[in-house]
Amino acid sequence: MEEQKISVWGSVRFWRNTAVWVTGFAVLLLIWLSLDTIPQISAGTIEDLENGVTKRVPSAAVINYEIGYELDNKRKTEIPIIGGKQMFFGRNDYSEEEATELVSHGKMTVQSKNCMNCHTLLGNGAYYAPDLTKSWLDPAWSETGPYRPMTGKATTEEAMAEFLQHPNKYPTHARMMPDLGITPDEAIAVVAFLKHMSSIDTNGFPRNFNKIKGAVNAK
Amino acid sequence: MIEAFTDVVPSFFGTLNRGPMTLTIFLHTVIILPMFFLYYSEKKKQKQGDHED
Repeated sequence: MEEQKISVWGSVRFWRNTAVWVTGFAVLLLIWLSLDTIPQISAGTIEDLENGVTKRVPSAAVINYEIGYELDNKRKTEIPIIGGKQMFFGRNDYSEEEATELVSHGKMTVQSKNCMNCHTLLGNGAYYAPDLTKSWLDPAWSETGPYRPMTGKATTEEAMAEFLQHPNKYPTHARMMPDLGITPDEAIAVVAFLKHMSSIDTNGFPRNFNKIKGAVNAK
Repeated sequence: MIEAFTDVVPSFFGTLNRGPMTLTIFLHTVIILPMFFLYYSEKKKQKQGDHED
């Protein structure tokens, strides 16, 4: 009897089945990962903030609270810590709707003024100008930093809003920001957007955010 | 060997990340193990004289 010639590696059927399996599994995996992402990026609520429930993306009402940035020893990255109540343009009682509207207005302004043409926000944009992901936490805008006294304002939010309206008056960086015609209302909304963005847990991104004391790569 | 769960939002992949089974090892295992089955079933078919269509 003639011996059968067996060659699995040369078999088209074997490779076809393998391709169907690997492609099919990859499709299912991508669908699974997409569904897995949804709870990770869903924003929290004002109740979460009041009850101390941690979310990757807190509610926009986080503008009513103080935001810190501390090294988490377990995760080995800095994470935003939402603290006690803090005044934001003289108020700390923004409702969920008000805060969401303000932050959305800020986001629309950031998009219409094309901030990403120079800045980076949450990993998107350019590195011509400083990364804005954690700009609210930049000590340069704090009481002791150089920027706040330059604008002559009493609070971080007022100083940032003043800078945004007249950036060409304040030499913060070697490459000065141009005047984009941002109105006072837009400036307030942009600062709210920046404050909300700084409260997002980005797994320590940006890693080169070295201006905060205690940061992993602090200089 | 099993580390503390550190993800903000619990998920299967967060759980997977705690132990020695990393995402890469998990995916290779899940993808390659059924390929052994495909290989041996093809070999069996060929031994039984069922060659390519």
